[in-house]
Amino acid sequence: MAGKDHSDMQCNEFDALLSDALDKVLTGPKAQAFQAHASSCPICGPLLAEAEMGKHWLEQLVEVEPPAHMVDKILAATTGIETPGVHRPAAQVPWFERATGWAQGVGQFIVAMSRQPRLAMSVGMAFFSLSICLSLAGVRLADLRRVDLRPSAIRRGYYETSGKVVKYYENIRFVYEIESRVREFKRVTSPREPAPAKQERHPRNDSSEQPEQEHNHRQGNGQIILAASDSPPAVDLAWVKPATLRRNP
Amino acid sequence: MEEAQVTAQLIRRCIAGDAAAWEELVQRYHRRIYNICYRFVGSAGDAEDLTQEVFIRMYRTLKSYEVERGAFMTWVTTMTRNLLVDHFRRTKQERLTDSLDVAPSERDDAMPLSEQIRDGRPAPDARAQAQQLGDAVHRAIGKLSPDLREAVILRDLQDMDYKQIATVLKVPEGTVKSRINRGRAELARLLQRTYKQVM
Repeated sequence: MAGKDHSDMQCNEFDALLSDALDKVLTGPKAQAFQAHASSCPICGPLLAEAEMGKHWLEQLVEVEPPAHMVDKILAATTGIETPGVHRPAAQVPWFERATGWAQGVGQFIVAMSRQPRLAMSVGMAFFSLSICLSLAGVRLADLRRVDLRPSAIRRGYYETSGKVVKYYENIRFVYEIESRVREFKRVTSPREPAPAKQERHPRNDSSEQPEQEHNHRQGNGQIILAASDSPPAVDLAWVKPATLRRNP
Repeated sequence: MEEAQVTAQLIRRCIAGDAAAWEELVQRYHRRIYNICYRFVGSAGDAEDLTQEVFIRMYRTLKSYEVERGAFMTWVTTMTRNLLVDHFRRTKQERLTDSLDVAPSERDDAMPLSEQIRDGRPAPDARAQAQQLGDAVHRAIGKLSPDLREAVILRDLQDMDYKQIATVLKVPEGTVKSRINRGRAELARLLQRTYKQVM
């Protein structure tokens, strides 16, 4: 502080009168002494200028507008009452208004999207893919009748189609070969079961689970002789390759 | 009818359970409280939350207000100030320390105020310039210490008299004046430091 100066005003007095001076309520000899001190004191002079400038800038600030929904939010938070400005509860809206609004929204969305060239291209591609799938599945839209869409007809169509698929699959030569090889492999690799006592006398390599017909046939060199028939035909199975066996559809 | 009488009547109706009176009270004071909060915290979102908090507290404690004891506005401002101080303490660690030179996010592409003034030509849009100056002053207020900030806000932005401010801040009137003067001077120094060309 500069202390006492030529105007007989001290800096602390100046500081106390600063607010009044800025509010323009300082008059008379006090105001003159104040001005004299401000012009002579190296500390209080700049302080007055800065305070004046700060006040001026603060006066430039305008009142900000609160958010529009704030009153509604305050009322809802305090009293729990929502004013009409917030929104109307969904329960009060009639169902047909809600349905209409929903339909309008969907319609507007579709119209807006249909104006996009990309969407038209996507729809075209989807239609093309669907028609290819249907034609591959044997479905012709022209053949569809109302009768075909009954649940029983759909169920029957499902079973027919699945039966066809199973038969087609099982009749594939490659699949059949694989299956027979697997069976053979299992038969070779499976451990031999302990033979019953009477089988010890007639050991056989038959590991199948067929009912035993001990006295009905004999086996040797790939020939099966049916013992039950009067004139046993010799059926040579050597030529029967697994791949040539086909089940009747 | 005088403002104070109208307010007193509204308060009596609120205490009696009149929802319309409460709504009117909110309508009357929400702008003022929001502005105090906004200038103090600097963020519109925080100001909105704090304003709502002030009204919730007011709603709960309205019965404790005695009309004879003082002006309703002083009571409300004291409550607001207490909440702001609480908020200030709560957010002390996470407070942003943005530079004054940083443009507000919504106007990142705007030319800085100092550059606009430096070119010597009149601003193309006076309103835009005033807006920018307002933003700069608003950010400068945020740089003041809380004691100086609340004093200048209540005096220069809310136009409260020294006595009311002294009641709200719970300090002598002389201290209020001193804080206001120091706050104004500090604000000017901050703005001068940033925008020397304005001077």
